[in-house]
Amino acid sequence: MNVVTLRNVRKSYGASVALKGISLEIDDGEIVALLGPNGAGKTTTLEILLGLRRLDAGAVVVCGGSPSDAVVRTAIGATPQASDFPEMLRVRELLAFVAAQYPAPADLGSTLSALGIGALADRYVGGLSGGQRRSLALALAFIGNPRLMVLDEPTTGLDVDTRRLVWKQIALASQERRTILFATHHLEEAEMLATRVVVINCGEIAFDGTPAALRQCYATRRLVYVGDPFDPSSYGLDARVTVQAGTVTVTTPDTDAAIRALVAAQVRFTSLHVVADSLETAFLAMTGGSP
Amino acid sequence: MRSLGLIDIYARLMFLELFRTPAYVVPTVVFPALFFAMFALPWARTPGLADTEMLSFVAIAVIGVTLFQFGVGVAAERARPWERYLRTLPANVAIRFAARSLCALLFGALAGACVVVVARLFSPIDLNGPQWALLALYAVLGGIPFVLFGITIGYWSNARAAVAIANLCYMLLAFAGGLWVPPAFLPAPITLVSPYLPTRAFGELLWSIAGAGHASASLVVLAAYTALFTTLAAVGYRRDEQARYV
Repeated sequence: MNVVTLRNVRKSYGASVALKGISLEIDDGEIVALLGPNGAGKTTTLEILLGLRRLDAGAVVVCGGSPSDAVVRTAIGATPQASDFPEMLRVRELLAFVAAQYPAPADLGSTLSALGIGALADRYVGGLSGGQRRSLALALAFIGNPRLMVLDEPTTGLDVDTRRLVWKQIALASQERRTILFATHHLEEAEMLATRVVVINCGEIAFDGTPAALRQCYATRRLVYVGDPFDPSSYGLDARVTVQAGTVTVTTPDTDAAIRALVAAQVRFTSLHVVADSLETAFLAMTGGSP
Repeated sequence: MRSLGLIDIYARLMFLELFRTPAYVVPTVVFPALFFAMFALPWARTPGLADTEMLSFVAIAVIGVTLFQFGVGVAAERARPWERYLRTLPANVAIRFAARSLCALLFGALAGACVVVVARLFSPIDLNGPQWALLALYAVLGGIPFVLFGITIGYWSNARAAVAIANLCYMLLAFAGGLWVPPAFLPAPITLVSPYLPTRAFGELLWSIAGAGHASASLVVLAAYTALFTTLAAVGYRRDEQARYV
């Protein structure tokens, strides 16, 4: 069943166009990573799903209704964007306040321990460190035990240990068939956690598929050897050849064909190896900028 | 039912936060009683005068807390990122308005109660059981338009201006409404507008307990102001929403 349906969603802020007609369907149990450069439309997409923004055109359905309907929002949990919490409350009180608004909330103690802040339950929010506040922000999204969780950069500002805990929580939620949509700058995070990656660039969906497909679709490979260069175009190969101090680099989407061509050309070579580009490089190639 | 439960949840959180800030709560609740002791007690020598003065200062206490302390709080809060998060939770804005009003009315009643305690200790107050019950009821009812007035100011002005504007409204309206000085002693130009002010209506409502004002007419005026400020607050809210969450 669809948890999220966006149909031709358009959104402009004055003269600047944020979303140029985005369509997206997310099923129960999917863990979707939303990637894209700053200003690509990630935040606007999340805000539309949370009912914080109105559409210029198109349709949005979340958990069977409009996210601007308070009852529909009992099925949605989100992280606060900034760590701006009421300072005079204890962690326990703040979580209980949010939990009480949901029909079947998660256990408070275990939610906190799962995120590594179990010992902070009785501390005042005002006395928490920046990292602890980030963990608390995530606890606020998890505590309602909602069908859909919308996490905006869930691991930004966390130390390595806490980041691992968050990854584990997302993986656990995935086993429970909860739906998670998270925006991130970290490609390895998307690759590790998500069942599906959606790349937004300039207000449009540039890619929508599995992390493996993203790599396959956009990653290029390099064939590196020491020896003489050869002309790949005479073998019908889409490749680029560079030579530096006797080391030849052949950049191509199909390294297997390149090896066959290399052998057929009877070129002298030693120390042949294949280098796979990271998803990061693929991403840069796709968006033409930084992740 | 769900709405009542949510109002309770939001009001409790607000209460908890306030009680953790005694430096804010104590002056807020005690100031009106202090004003009463300084400005009204010296004149409250006969039972009739004592009753009227006490009732006027209960009105001042309730208005001060509801309008000045609670209503304008939205001016600072609506700009905070926390507000953005609250909008993603399963409670709509009417719930939060209601919880804020509930809190304000309870604190207003508390401030009014302090005035009553001082009045009973140091002046010849002469009210019977039913009159005290009526005072409790009227003090809470009369506070409603002033919370909404405060919320209106909070939505129509920015955080810095809101406190000054609310303070000005509070002082001027309390004076012109005949709460600081009895209506008979007001300057002539002010007596022309005084009968139409919400502060005057609140005063008349409370004075009626001691047999001096017109309860039903005052309730009608206060209901009209409630409708007016509810509308203005709602329009202000929409306006803020348009600007912030288009």
